[in-house]
Amino acid sequence: MYLTDEEKRMLDGVYGDVVRKAMKILVTLGEIYGAERMIKVFNVHSPGVSYRVAGDAGLNFVKEASSAARCRVLTTLNTIGIDSERWDELGFPRDFALKQLELLDAYKTMGAVPTYTCTPYLVGNYPMAGEHVAWGESSAIIFANSVIGARTNREGGPSALAAALTGRVPECGYHLDRNRKGKFLFRVDMELATDRDFAVLGYFAGRIAGKDVPVFEGLKRRPTLDNLKALGAALASSGAVALYHVVGVTPEALTREAVISNADPIAFGHREYEDTCSKFSLAGDVDFVVTGCPHCSISEIGTVARLLAGKKVRSDFWVCTSRQIKTLADKMGYTAIIEAAGARVVCDTCPVLAPTLSKGYRTLVTNSAKLAHYAPGLWNLRTALLQIEDCVEASITGRWGDVG
Amino acid sequence: MNTLVLKGRKIVEGRAEGEALVTREPISFMGSVNPKTGVVIERGHEIEGKCLKGKVLVFPCSKGSTGGSYMLYDLVKNGQGPIAIVNAEAESVVAIGAIVADLPMVDRVDISKIETGDYVIVDADGGTVEVHRKDRES
Repeated sequence: MYLTDEEKRMLDGVYGDVVRKAMKILVTLGEIYGAERMIKVFNVHSPGVSYRVAGDAGLNFVKEASSAARCRVLTTLNTIGIDSERWDELGFPRDFALKQLELLDAYKTMGAVPTYTCTPYLVGNYPMAGEHVAWGESSAIIFANSVIGARTNREGGPSALAAALTGRVPECGYHLDRNRKGKFLFRVDMELATDRDFAVLGYFAGRIAGKDVPVFEGLKRRPTLDNLKALGAALASSGAVALYHVVGVTPEALTREAVISNADPIAFGHREYEDTCSKFSLAGDVDFVVTGCPHCSISEIGTVARLLAGKKVRSDFWVCTSRQIKTLADKMGYTAIIEAAGARVVCDTCPVLAPTLSKGYRTLVTNSAKLAHYAPGLWNLRTALLQIEDCVEASITGRWGDVG
Repeated sequence: MNTLVLKGRKIVEGRAEGEALVTREPISFMGSVNPKTGVVIERGHEIEGKCLKGKVLVFPCSKGSTGGSYMLYDLVKNGQGPIAIVNAEAESVVAIGAIVADLPMVDRVDISKIETGDYVIVDADGGTVEVHRKDRES
């Protein structure tokens, strides 16, 4: 593998042992995956920041790294395991919270930016099309590759940290043109109106696409950012998809021919839609309602606030978002409306990365295919995947479905 | 006892020798090994209940969450880890773990030639695994 003089200095330990190990990680990955050289990255989105994921092992590793090395490029941090300001009030366990804060301190020492969100692209980490980056968090990776047209592989905690400390990644995988072409073509035969509709499409297509690149055509109208956020998170949950194209919409797919050749289309219509939804059917009491997986945009919080105005919720209801978006929600008056109804605007975290839920919940309602996918395995919850209006309705009545 | 030398590719430099613990199944270090004891806890795994401590761990490749790299590092730091890794084909989770833990590692080795209990000498710099085979039962 070709290395520049600067990269050789990093590998030889001129910048210390932590940087040497970081470069060693990247060179080794490059050798495993057949890279010919390193490329520079200008920004990193680091996963593995929740203490639930990192554990004591990750905490020790990151603390050791922070004693001797600093981020060379803009490094934003993924969702963590607590609301970093309201953890006590919201009932997060103290032992867990203190370990989490220790881990955050280590990242802060290295100069990482405390975004604590799975939607870095909503809060200032927005690369350019064609830019090479090193991102973790499956829903953010797929957004960066597909909607923005930046280029990243699926980085884990250690490899993202190595990229942050060196400003490099090996040139392989999705950094190369040849690996960005579509493999499966999906023809959308129905009108997709809500974020939930896009989530259902993503969940359906992810199961078929697996690790490969799906291409969508036939959309009847231009999707919104929130639509594509939901589509990507679903594709990266039922499958391991890191990149998709929407013909005529996403930046690399000006035409179908630009992204895929010789593929028989797979139809997605009402039958496929209903089949996919049947996995997430629920009738009866609703214990827990969550929106914001991935973290809510300001538009989504506005929708929830409009629907909750003057109402009271019966179910526990978390509206998950980043602190930056919550600051906007505060100024818009949304937070006050939502919390007056008894729901909570929770920052920095989400049910997937928080410590185990221990409130005896049995059922979950959400507009996120990602959360609906993980909840049954993580906490043995029955889940319903609903559009946001129905999520709010379920939180108010405390029930959902055909029940007597 | 007979001896053979297997050729492979260096992933992490170093040299170690000891008894081999071999599985034909991929290993996830996240959730499948107790980091405090080094015991494999994945239900139904071929080496469930076996302890990795002090062994040359031989398996085809790693699987599962990228958090597994940290777990391997933790195992070794806690003194419960293997002393070297031999893989059929290295995958990023175990390779990163071995780098941060300073664990000698080679891949592209014909691991079908090694059995649990064989005494092996891993020379990662030379990319070789010297196998002193215990008596085979058949």
